[in-house]
Amino acid sequence: MKIFRIAGVSLSAVSKHKVRTLLIVLAIVVGIATLTVIVALTQGANKTILQRINNFGPDAIMIHSGGGQMRGPSTVSEANLTKKDIADIESIDGVKLVSPFQVSLDMPIKYGNKFTTSWVFGVEQNWQEAWRRGASKGEFISDSDNEQLSKVCVIGQTAAKDLFSDANPIGEDIMIENVSFKIVGILKKAGQSPIGTDFDNLILIPFTTASRRLMNQPLYISMARTVVYRPSQVKNVAEKIKEILRENHHLAATEEDDFKISSPEEITKMIKSTSQTLTLFLWLVGIISPLVGGIVLMNIMLMAVSERKSEIGLRRAVGAKKKHIVFQFLAESLMLTFTGGFFGVVIGFAVALIFSSFGKPISISWQPFAVAFIFSSLIGLFFGIYPARKAASLDPASALSQK
Amino acid sequence: MIEFNDIAKSFTSGAIKTEVLKGVSFKVDKGEFVSIMAPSGTGKTTLLNILGCLMKATSGSYLFEGHDIETLNDDQLSEIRNKKIGFVFQTFNLLEKTSTLDNVLLPLVYSDIYPADASKKATGLLEAVGLKERIHYKPNELSGGQQQRVAIARALINDPAVILADEPTGNLDSGSAKEIMEIFGTLHKEGRTIIVVTHNINVARSSDRIIYLKDGKVEKEEVLK
Repeated sequence: MKIFRIAGVSLSAVSKHKVRTLLIVLAIVVGIATLTVIVALTQGANKTILQRINNFGPDAIMIHSGGGQMRGPSTVSEANLTKKDIADIESIDGVKLVSPFQVSLDMPIKYGNKFTTSWVFGVEQNWQEAWRRGASKGEFISDSDNEQLSKVCVIGQTAAKDLFSDANPIGEDIMIENVSFKIVGILKKAGQSPIGTDFDNLILIPFTTASRRLMNQPLYISMARTVVYRPSQVKNVAEKIKEILRENHHLAATEEDDFKISSPEEITKMIKSTSQTLTLFLWLVGIISPLVGGIVLMNIMLMAVSERKSEIGLRRAVGAKKKHIVFQFLAESLMLTFTGGFFGVVIGFAVALIFSSFGKPISISWQPFAVAFIFSSLIGLFFGIYPARKAASLDPASALSQK
Repeated sequence: MIEFNDIAKSFTSGAIKTEVLKGVSFKVDKGEFVSIMAPSGTGKTTLLNILGCLMKATSGSYLFEGHDIETLNDDQLSEIRNKKIGFVFQTFNLLEKTSTLDNVLLPLVYSDIYPADASKKATGLLEAVGLKERIHYKPNELSGGQQQRVAIARALINDPAVILADEPTGNLDSGSAKEIMEIFGTLHKEGRTIIVVTHNINVARSSDRIIYLKDGKVEKEEVLK
């Protein structure tokens, strides 16, 4: 086949002009490697977001006191949910359970002469079912702890490490602000919360103890986590909760919500919107850098065309048609971009692995290969066609006379 | 076989129009060995380019084996060059870094049929020009005379109707030049049609007939054999 013979010509040209080949391949490698790293990093970041959403629970709805923008937890200072709100929400069709809790952020914690700060949550027993997170050691807060306003606590692993290093904290007394609590259990490890905070720097105490003895908020509740039976019910239930709360809080149609409801969907949106600019920037770099490689390719190929005029003239003289010359040079470009694309992906993955060894989440999948394949073909075609056509359009007689 | 009727060629550069050929007419029959004698700068290269279908005339008609060359498109001209014309250039025009054998095979890259025995044929042609031992040499490892012999083998690979040589001994010493002209003589005896364009009267004298070109026109013809 003539086409294979001409491809053979391209291959031999690529292997004979080593410096030129090396320069072009290098430019493409840099471009495609950058793109690969960026694909691996953004995919890794997306995977992390998904994991966090999963941690949050696909069947959970969080109710925050206070309106306005979504942010971290609502603290007792803005608490405005009532016991009636909780009871009404419990009666919504599809709701499995509602777990109210009090929140105080960055409370001073003391054990002996060691200090730390931690989030302190006042919780009921159903907290562990609502968060699918109980005690990994010892006991959890019980209903009777709540009835008796017990001064007991379950400590998160970060807080435990800060205060006790590797010693067993169970049975020890710690001071939260000025109140002494006995540690009865260690909380299961959770990792990061959806918004990226350390969910293990946490101390749980009974809801009633928090409301009356520590946080001085006997009437209102900071937050509540609602769990539905099926994730598909989340949307409807969230709407119902909103209706009930607006009615219970006597909000007029023109008034804004004095609470905030967040579902997995909204959390995804929030996280994505904050990472959007960075992702966009990364993609921009990821796309521009192979384009720069393409421009290098075009420059060097144009130089090659002008250096090889007499060769082109000779080929035309012995019978090459214009399309044969176009094909030959385009095939050269494509061979170079494919080679660059292949090594670019490999090097890109290597760099991504280095990133991951520094703790950056990455994802290694088939997509970067596909992206690199498509991108390098496009670059080869787009930036190779002009030099190839230029080569073919040379007047054979004058090209022949070039030295 | 080749018929030039009143061929004229002019080049325009800006406002300046240069008439290089001003109505050239001649015929070459099959099996002839013809020289076209022209001093440098008298349109010799232009004439050769038109003869070799690398360029079209401004006016006049050029018949090649009955085809009116002026009516053919670029692809058709490429096919004529590929199948019917074997070029031998003054500067040999071999591909660098490419073996002698592959240089000879070059025209076959672009032909519709690639004979199964192509390599054998090319080796045979290299043997005929005395380069059997050098089929894997690169052009820079060969002398000028050897390079020109490779070029002749390349010109023959497609069994062309005509061999078109442009100052074939121009870059050679007299010994090599003699060898090359002897090869042309042999090819002529085998019945091939050869046209040599030259300004060297000694080269021209080895052909059957000399067409003298002067000031863009045929000045006279001289039959030698």
